[in-house]
Amino acid sequence: MNGVQSVLAPRGQDAERIATLFWTMLGGGTLIMLAVAVLTALALKGDSPGRGWLRSERLVVWVGIVLPVCLLTALLAWGLFALRAGAVHSDPDALRVAVVGERWWWRVIYPGAGGRSFESANELRIPVGRTVNVELRTADVIHSFWVPSLAGKVDMIPGRTNVMSLVANATGVSRGQCAEYCGGAHALMSFHVVALNATEFESWLAHESGPAIPPADAETRLGQTLFITSGCGACHTIRGTDAAGRIGPDLTHVGGRLSLAAATMSNDAAAIGRWIRDNQHIKPQNRMPPFAIFDDRQLAALSRYLAGLK
Amino acid sequence: MARRWWQPTRRDAVIAALTLCGLAVAGFLVALSGVYDIAASRSHLEITRWFLEFGKRRAVATYSLPVQAPPSLDDRNLVRLGAGHFRDGCASCHGAPGEQANPIVRAMQPAPPPLSVRAPTWTAEELFWIVRNGLKYTGMPAWPAPRRGDEVWAVVAFLLQLPEMDAARYRELTRLPPADTPAVAACVACHGDSSSPPVSRLVPRLNGQSQRYLELALRNYAHGQRPSGIMQPQAARLNSRTIELVARYYAGLKPASVPPADAEAGQIERGRGIATGGFEERGIPPCLTCHGGHALATYPKLAGQSEAYIAGQLHLLQKGIRADTPQGAIMTPIARLLSDRQIEDVAAWFASVEP
Repeated sequence: MNGVQSVLAPRGQDAERIATLFWTMLGGGTLIMLAVAVLTALALKGDSPGRGWLRSERLVVWVGIVLPVCLLTALLAWGLFALRAGAVHSDPDALRVAVVGERWWWRVIYPGAGGRSFESANELRIPVGRTVNVELRTADVIHSFWVPSLAGKVDMIPGRTNVMSLVANATGVSRGQCAEYCGGAHALMSFHVVALNATEFESWLAHESGPAIPPADAETRLGQTLFITSGCGACHTIRGTDAAGRIGPDLTHVGGRLSLAAATMSNDAAAIGRWIRDNQHIKPQNRMPPFAIFDDRQLAALSRYLAGLK
Repeated sequence: MARRWWQPTRRDAVIAALTLCGLAVAGFLVALSGVYDIAASRSHLEITRWFLEFGKRRAVATYSLPVQAPPSLDDRNLVRLGAGHFRDGCASCHGAPGEQANPIVRAMQPAPPPLSVRAPTWTAEELFWIVRNGLKYTGMPAWPAPRRGDEVWAVVAFLLQLPEMDAARYRELTRLPPADTPAVAACVACHGDSSSPPVSRLVPRLNGQSQRYLELALRNYAHGQRPSGIMQPQAARLNSRTIELVARYYAGLKPASVPPADAEAGQIERGRGIATGGFEERGIPPCLTCHGGHALATYPKLAGQSEAYIAGQLHLLQKGIRADTPQGAIMTPIARLLSDRQIEDVAAWFASVEP
């Protein structure tokens, strides 16, 4: 039980509570089922004093009514308490991050230095042990934000901001998935959550909020020129260049992410090239037009440039 | 018991069957003997001619039932575009006001009819159906780009004006202006040059487009990847040297805008907003990122292009008619995000700015 997307492998406070609740309920349920099975066997095959005992009114009242009411009430009360249903941690030190569901990717907005926020996409990096309040919004239809190994599931509703709290207990990668059908490529709308220790997180945040690395060699310079002149900047931002579009994911540090296309593909130059040319086959109906206008040399330059944006 | 006036017996059925078989065998024998004269030099028997004409009229009437004419068939831009194509594609067979059809064509059977006389015997919808689909066994070809009904309507718009057109008016509509070099004469006839604008607002102004874009467009037209019954025949007869020459000629001309259209200020302002800033809520990127002149040479520059041409192309893109080229495949989903009003707005803005 070490899956990156498993409720049974909790790596966060809330997920641990959910896992505890699950195991307790499973244990309690198993005991009750065994007891019922024993009583049923007694009723069918037992000797006559045993069956007489089963028939007594006292037993029906205590075991048939009082016991279930007490047991179920206790489990419900404990369950609600254990889950702190709907509670948002009021931690003054909490990190606030906004995640906006879009068809079919996740826009992630971090608070930057001096109150200036900056964007990333399809990957959420959080510090271990610190409360993260995730503001969940949507740009179009209902999505649902679910990282099974960190916390429960919260819907993203048009016109509303839902807040959920997460606390990661250990460093490592968890995988999340949109859990509310949102159109054709819903199944390909996933993401990663990377929990880092506090110092790693701060240095990552400082780097991530900065501009993109300028291209270092002739090939990547060609790649950058192609990115700008082909019109990619109409939809994508690469901070530090003229590309400032806000329709698609921010690509300032796209090469540093774990995956491409909302955790659909691995992230390397070859995959980026495939996505640019063939994205409608990889993720049908996604909003990016297919760019089959490049020859192999141009596509390689563009892909290498983007893959190098660590 | 009253006998019905006719009660078919087994004998009657046998006689009928034998008669039918006899007729079929007789027909086959006539064909086998080769006595029916199929020479184009002699006309059909009168009854054959009547029957063929009757069948044609009925077929065209039936098949043109679903056709719906656009509201403005008297638009002069449509008429002028149709006139240009008529001159290059139709007049050699059908003749024109003041011009006889080619004598070789007049020896066809049936001879292509003079359309000043015959076009008014059809409705606009029927003319559309004939021009788009052609007529079997008559020599009338189908429109090479079946999805370009918009072009077919231009020809129909011209045909509707033809009966009242005298030779002088026809010459004025289809005049071939003097061109700088003979190779570009056919292009200048519709697209104009540095001294004359295009003949119709549905025809794009090519001055100052990049050579690469113009070459690409001509190749795409020639191979039918960019469907057009008007441009494909023109582009297909150019060899690659001529394509380069034509493209270089227009790329070298100073960009000039078309005469301004009457658009209201609010419309132009809304169009400016979309062209320069996009419309983020609907995911529409700003047009100028690609069409402003600082982008790839294979993207067209749109400033100063006529609103009718831009809007027409956006509607074609929305229908997926231009999706067979890599460039068209990029623009198709973007065009589909635009509402009809937004198309009018951006088209009006581009037409209003200096290139």
